[in-house]
Amino acid sequence: MPMNPFQPPPRREYLDRKKKEGLGLIGVFPGRYPREVFWALGALPVEIWDPPLALSASGAHLQPTICSVVKSGLELILQGQCSVLDGFLFPHTCDSLQNLGSLVSDYLDVGKPCLEFYPPKTSDGTEARVFFRREVERLFHALEPLYGPVRPDAFRHWVARSAELSRALASLYTLRAQGRLNASNVEFYRLVRALEFMDPDDLLPLLTAFVNEREVPAPLGSPAIVLSGVLPGPWGLLSLLDDLGVRVADDDLIACGRRLPGIAAPEQEPMDAVTESYAGMPPCSTINAPLKERKSRLWDQVQKTGARGVLFNIVKFCEPELFAYPVLRESLKKRGVATLLVEQDGNREIPGQAATRLEAFVEMIRQDFREGGSR
Amino acid sequence: MDYVVGMDVGSLSTDAVILDRQGGIAGIGIVRTGASSLRAAEEALDMAVSAAGLGRSDLGYVVSTGYGRTGIPFSHRAVTEITCHARGACFLFPDTGTVVDIGGQDSKVIHVGPGGRVMDFTMNDKCAAGTGRFLEVMAEKLQVGLEDMGELSNRAQGEATISSVCTVFAESEVVSLVARDHPTEEIVRGIHRAIVGRIWGMIRSLGPKGELTMSGGVAKNRGVVAMLEELWGRPVQVPEEPQIVGALGAALIALDQETQPGE
Amino acid sequence: MRAFQALRYRVMKDLGAPALMAAARFKARRRPRRAPDPNMGAPLKCGGRLRELMTRHYLLARYAKGAMPVAWVTSGAPVELLRAFGFYTVYPENHGALCGAKGMGADLCRIAEEEGFSQDLCSYARIDLGSVMSGKTPVGRLPRPDLLFASNNICQTVGYWYNVLADRWNIPLILLDTPFNVHGGPDEASVAYMVRQFEGMIPTLEQVSGRPFRMPTLKDVLRISKETADTWGEVLGTMKARPSPMTIFDAFVHLAPVVSLRGLPAALDYYRILLAELRGRVARGEGGIREERRRLMWDNIAIWYKVRDYSTLFAEKGLNFVTATYTNAWAETAVFMDEARPFESMARAYSRVILNNDLDYRLRLMEQMIRDYQVDGLVIHSARSCKPYSVGQYDLKRLLMERFDIPSVIIEADIADERAYSEEQARTRLEAFFETLGP
Repeated sequence: MPMNPFQPPPRREYLDRKKKEGLGLIGVFPGRYPREVFWALGALPVEIWDPPLALSASGAHLQPTICSVVKSGLELILQGQCSVLDGFLFPHTCDSLQNLGSLVSDYLDVGKPCLEFYPPKTSDGTEARVFFRREVERLFHALEPLYGPVRPDAFRHWVARSAELSRALASLYTLRAQGRLNASNVEFYRLVRALEFMDPDDLLPLLTAFVNEREVPAPLGSPAIVLSGVLPGPWGLLSLLDDLGVRVADDDLIACGRRLPGIAAPEQEPMDAVTESYAGMPPCSTINAPLKERKSRLWDQVQKTGARGVLFNIVKFCEPELFAYPVLRESLKKRGVATLLVEQDGNREIPGQAATRLEAFVEMIRQDFREGGSR
Repeated sequence: MDYVVGMDVGSLSTDAVILDRQGGIAGIGIVRTGASSLRAAEEALDMAVSAAGLGRSDLGYVVSTGYGRTGIPFSHRAVTEITCHARGACFLFPDTGTVVDIGGQDSKVIHVGPGGRVMDFTMNDKCAAGTGRFLEVMAEKLQVGLEDMGELSNRAQGEATISSVCTVFAESEVVSLVARDHPTEEIVRGIHRAIVGRIWGMIRSLGPKGELTMSGGVAKNRGVVAMLEELWGRPVQVPEEPQIVGALGAALIALDQETQPGE
Repeated sequence: MRAFQALRYRVMKDLGAPALMAAARFKARRRPRRAPDPNMGAPLKCGGRLRELMTRHYLLARYAKGAMPVAWVTSGAPVELLRAFGFYTVYPENHGALCGAKGMGADLCRIAEEEGFSQDLCSYARIDLGSVMSGKTPVGRLPRPDLLFASNNICQTVGYWYNVLADRWNIPLILLDTPFNVHGGPDEASVAYMVRQFEGMIPTLEQVSGRPFRMPTLKDVLRISKETADTWGEVLGTMKARPSPMTIFDAFVHLAPVVSLRGLPAALDYYRILLAELRGRVARGEGGIREERRRLMWDNIAIWYKVRDYSTLFAEKGLNFVTATYTNAWAETAVFMDEARPFESMARAYSRVILNNDLDYRLRLMEQMIRDYQVDGLVIHSARSCKPYSVGQYDLKRLLMERFDIPSVIIEADIADERAYSEEQARTRLEAFFETLGP
């Protein structure tokens, strides 16, 4: 297999290198938060979603009914694998993450600062934006003791850079939705997930080169699905879809497509730009977006991509997703769209029976695809 | 070639069905899978071939399904049990709208459309409760034959309550009942109630559709079938050999291939 | 609101309900008395009064729709604002507890599960959704709401749950977003955020209720609420006595008015009577159980389908639960309420609800309660449904045991879904706990 020149570098190596270059590193737990603040302070946010660890120590602190994202994140800390990090940020994304932040900060002695960020959970209104701005300022104040005061032009510079990155991601997603990106599902998500730890200065050229190389003029003919849920993986799931010849044409994933920022106008003040781009993110149940908005977005994605089905890839025990799922499924069913639910429990490979279910789902949508008709 | 093959390589048993070009069943082979899927597949095929009075060279397209479907070198294509059970059940009972397959390791409910195509499905594949395994474990605890459970259950005057959703906890409930000398047939009835409860939940989550056809080994248990019929409200369709529905479906898909090649 | 419904409601309230309550009392007197449990103290006289109060509440709920605006409300929501608009309030969590206590939890959960709602979701929510989908309820009929009113101070899950209801019925959902308090708080920016949210709620409330907002009305309600919460706090305070005049299982039941009738004069009146009765018992040295050998604390929400069994079990062993973080929650924030600064004080009060503070706060609170109530042991209910309560309990247990050297036990169960409970497992753990408590 030829080496993919657009593969992001291995995470550990990359972070060690960045540390040597003098960048600060903060471990960030899952959620929506303003990356630009870190970049402006000469630091990198390093996201902790699914470190590949066998769970053992976390069982002493967390019940078995807590999701694997939270458990593996805690495991990473308990196994002492965070020496390269200067501290942690816990966004208040859900109850488990909220309490995890408190557990680590109050009950464990990690010897590093534990910060938190509270995204407003009301629908988009003036009061939410005011509170968000205050949270951004508070994040600056919390990080400045570690990294020194921020220079005003630094924030402006990195907000502009962030907008470039958002534009590059948006065009990547658009091409893929049109079926004009010749890339495997695995390749696509390795690149997109590099955002979880890479400096935009390193990632942007990769993204641009990837698009230039892989863009094709005419849509590819393979059957498409939309992926909804938390994470795109495990990698085994994506490679199985690749083997079955199915493209993920768009996604409604908390870690990826649901965090694509809105693109702010270039002349805005940096704080306004960050606030607007954040407010412009797609609807998410973790901030109580009305289900009507989620239904509408998902249907829009299905239509635009010509997807034959929606695969709900939800981490077991994830409440915001599992409450929304039946409502979303029902609305898709009414419109004749096939759906499948798979639940992830931190495995890196998908267990045999889950693979069968996926294959059966693909067989089901392929029948439809071959006949080219509605149901 | 005049004949096609469907193979269902399950975790407990392996079945082979040979069909002629008209879709008639020429031969069947059923063996226990044991420790080698491949050896079991060869054996089952040999059995079917000899029952059909044929030789291996008479065989054309082969489709395999089941847990071990990808490990069979002489198979031309692997298709999931969901698609195969839907196809097989519809072939045997054309008015089938809902297929309920209770196998050894998992159970599934499938909505089928015209031609036996899959419209929707749900599976219980993580938990023993609601599968043949549950019944096996309980039968052993009660020291009764699996094949006798149906009759025992239908004979019972009363019914014991097994409330646990988990097989392990349910097992300890059964042990307590046995220790208290509770009549065996009533315990068996309670066990059937538990498994049917799980299946019924799955049926309801998809919604009822058309006529109900059962497949898989547990369909031979008249006790389970009777309880399901009570809930379904009318008779359910059970093939004479419910175990081979998957292999039959696979063979039918092979026949499609043979008669209309190229997908 | 429609005239016929309004009239019917009035008739039920003034004539129907009293008549039915009188008939129920009559029937109750004629029923053969159950033999009193020898290990329990005399039952509280207020028990009957409480039952009437709650029965009446659910009875009138059936006639509320159309007669007045109806809202479904979360237990930590600032209900005083709804009272100012005359909403009839229903608390699905209270309803869920009731269903759990009657052993109806699993059936209702199953209905929601068949619709695709995961078994791993909060059982109050599954029971509520199952009840809504099937119409089954032990209280006759729940009125469909005109509005949903929630706050995520108790958990984020209510947001997800109520969003499902809002979508199903296409009605407004008002949610008070209370930022989590870390190292004290709320700070000024958080208070300002919450106050602005309150202001933003007014137009929707006016529109749905058809009534204009009047600040004086809100102030009156706040005053009653504060006094009710204070009185409830005093009720709980009587349990510091040795022996405690009631058990925490009684408290779980008598909690209902301060949760779901807070701001109404009836709840305040009720607690004054209960307080008087309890003070009488304290004066006479009458305990909730016959022999109080050891005093225990309960953490987390009750195991509703085991309240009666546990009540008996613990009483037999002379163990009395004298305090709980759960019951305390509706008393401790009363101090912040101040009719002179309505929105601001409500923001502070509702933000300070126990689960909206970091684990350090919870640890210090429990330490205080162990000291104040002279607690000898701790039973921690690790509730599958309730993540904000449960995440951190293992460490809480460890830290409390280190600091106080008192025995404790964790029971893994659920608040209202009886399928998530294993009698064997719980018994074994409790028996070991009883042994460590000593004679």
